[in-house]
Amino acid sequence: MTRPESTGTDLLVLHALRCIGFAGLERVAAATGLPQADVESELIDLAVAGLVSRVAGDFGGWGLTDAGRTADAERIAAELDAAGTRTAVAAAYDDFLVLNPELLDLCAAWQTRSVDGVVAINEHIDPAYDARVLDRLTDLDRRAEVVCAALSAALPRFGRYRVRLADALARARSGALEHVTDSTASYHIVWFQLHEDLLATLGIPR
Amino acid sequence: MRWIHPLSPEVEETAEILGGKAHGLVVLQRLGLPVPPGFVISTGACRAFLRGGRFPVGLDAELAAAVAGLEAATGRRLGGPRRPLAVSVRSGASLSMPGMMSTVLNLGLTAEAAAGLAAETGDRRFALDSRRRFLSSFAAVAGGAPVPDGATRQLERAIAAVFSSWDTPRARTYRELHAIPHDLGTAVTVQAMVFGNRDDRSGSGVAFSRNPNTGEQVPFGEVLFGAQGEEVVSGGSLTRPLHDLADRVPAVWAGLLEALDRVEEHHRDACHLEFTFEAGELWVLQVRPGRFVGGAAVRVAVDLADAGAIGRRQALLRVSPQQLRHVRTPRIVAADVLTRGLGACPGVAAGRVATTADTAARMAVDGPVILVRPQTSALDLHGLAAAAGVVTARGGPASHAAVVARAMGRPAVVGAADLSVDVASVRAGGQTVPEGTLIAIDGTGGEVVLGRPRIVTAAAGPHLDRLLEWADEVSGGSSGRSEAERLNAARAVLLPG
Repeated sequence: MTRPESTGTDLLVLHALRCIGFAGLERVAAATGLPQADVESELIDLAVAGLVSRVAGDFGGWGLTDAGRTADAERIAAELDAAGTRTAVAAAYDDFLVLNPELLDLCAAWQTRSVDGVVAINEHIDPAYDARVLDRLTDLDRRAEVVCAALSAALPRFGRYRVRLADALARARSGALEHVTDSTASYHIVWFQLHEDLLATLGIPR
Repeated sequence: MRWIHPLSPEVEETAEILGGKAHGLVVLQRLGLPVPPGFVISTGACRAFLRGGRFPVGLDAELAAAVAGLEAATGRRLGGPRRPLAVSVRSGASLSMPGMMSTVLNLGLTAEAAAGLAAETGDRRFALDSRRRFLSSFAAVAGGAPVPDGATRQLERAIAAVFSSWDTPRARTYRELHAIPHDLGTAVTVQAMVFGNRDDRSGSGVAFSRNPNTGEQVPFGEVLFGAQGEEVVSGGSLTRPLHDLADRVPAVWAGLLEALDRVEEHHRDACHLEFTFEAGELWVLQVRPGRFVGGAAVRVAVDLADAGAIGRRQALLRVSPQQLRHVRTPRIVAADVLTRGLGACPGVAAGRVATTADTAARMAVDGPVILVRPQTSALDLHGLAAAAGVVTARGGPASHAAVVARAMGRPAVVGAADLSVDVASVRAGGQTVPEGTLIAIDGTGGEVVLGRPRIVTAAAGPHLDRLLEWADEVSGGSSGRSEAERLNAARAVLLPG
């Protein structure tokens, strides 16, 4: 097997926007692991090529154009073909799908809790309950790590998800509870970006 | 027998041994209600299987005897070429773990048996449809393993798969979260299939003995003609109101009303039944407590006390202070109605339209969101949790969206049949509404409106007033207390310590 090449920064940035949706520099930088200045420079080049566009203002940010979405699909498919690892990515996706419902259960259990037969918002006032959810999330994360390792071996750019998931879990465990489901860098948000990335990479429609 | 018990009114084993589902079926039989014949493999057999990795000694022989008994009772042969017996194989732990374990339906419909069923019924389409359902439900639990040819092997494999589904990581996580011990195991209930997909006088449905939104004492639910039960709860099909049974299959309707009365009288609470009818004959498949919330819970408790089914003190204990939070239900006042569906969870929610669970989760960071979907599945939970309210085009009051929304206390409108959901917009009433547009929904009346309408909140209502009067009688006064405090004061007297 040929060793898969690392993805060029222009495609990394383009594809990050494809997977996280409309976003500001900071989130694209977090998704790619690139410095914000480099991300901005790539985005400007991509905008000149008509692949991304920027909305100004306080709630502004960057998003893909239709041409950008098409270009991303082509280039991501070409990258996978060149790596020759479609089978490995597809197998990892199957493993991901086994974990996915459990992650959804955990997110639901983190956000809501049954009290007296009524499902109510989890107010995070019972540390023992929260610890139980976090313990199960940690257990799931150990199994997710195996999937992430298989993906990174097939396409190195997937390695970023392992870093981001581990970071979200570590922060949540150290008391920053918003990193389970609520913040834009939360475990749940990163997980769904990974899901979106797998669908985009394998060309599977939602 | 050691591992297997018949489903029969005389069975005395507890829910710990039979599982909650089978135990409920035995209760239904004792109430004289029609339950398909069958048997239950105990939780002990599951524990032994999980310890040893194979069926415990004696189970094979007991299974053969139980199948022979079921064949004798039905006059059919499992996998037989003439008058074939098909069975359902369902999990059932002593504590409810909804959706966590496996089910196989229409088992025994080998190619040969399906041909026999076609010859028997003169309906090849029905027989093939039933076999297709078997193959897909078997594939879902077998994890890609081929379907064995023989019906007996199919049954053994299905039972082993249900046993094994107790120990999936997802099921373990569910138990950790709900403090359910890992060593209980699940029972397996095997029953003769009743075919809701048999003909146009067949179908499946769910029924509540009272309206789960209001608590009103009228049967409530939905029915799908020509369908098996899982299609009703999946929310993927357009169901009909329960009352349609009265015209189309009057005997089924009459039988169902009788069943609802009997289970409610027995449980002294609102109940929920799953049922199937085949060629005009009613079968009850499951009973559960109604588990109403908010104003509906208050009304049921007060009505049951007024009817003498429970005491006033018991009524007070039935309503938790948590329930009072949901009692006062706001309503939308006349506004620009975009579309209308069925109110599935009362309350008003306003927010921006999101058309996928993921976008709902993302958009909710910036303010309230209404999730608008063709239907929802377990994969949409994060979106439902993030949304202030949910609208679906398909499904009825027992659809996934309705059940989850109700459980979370989120206003929900389901079965808005006029609605279609595109990639980043929704269409209804001839209008296209882009993602991000502000809408509001009323989960009582089922209205979906554009913009932010005027909202009114009704007075507490006579049922809550009466319940709180009873609370004051118990606690000795109400001076200056809030409603929740009045209820709490009474509960403190009734539940010392």
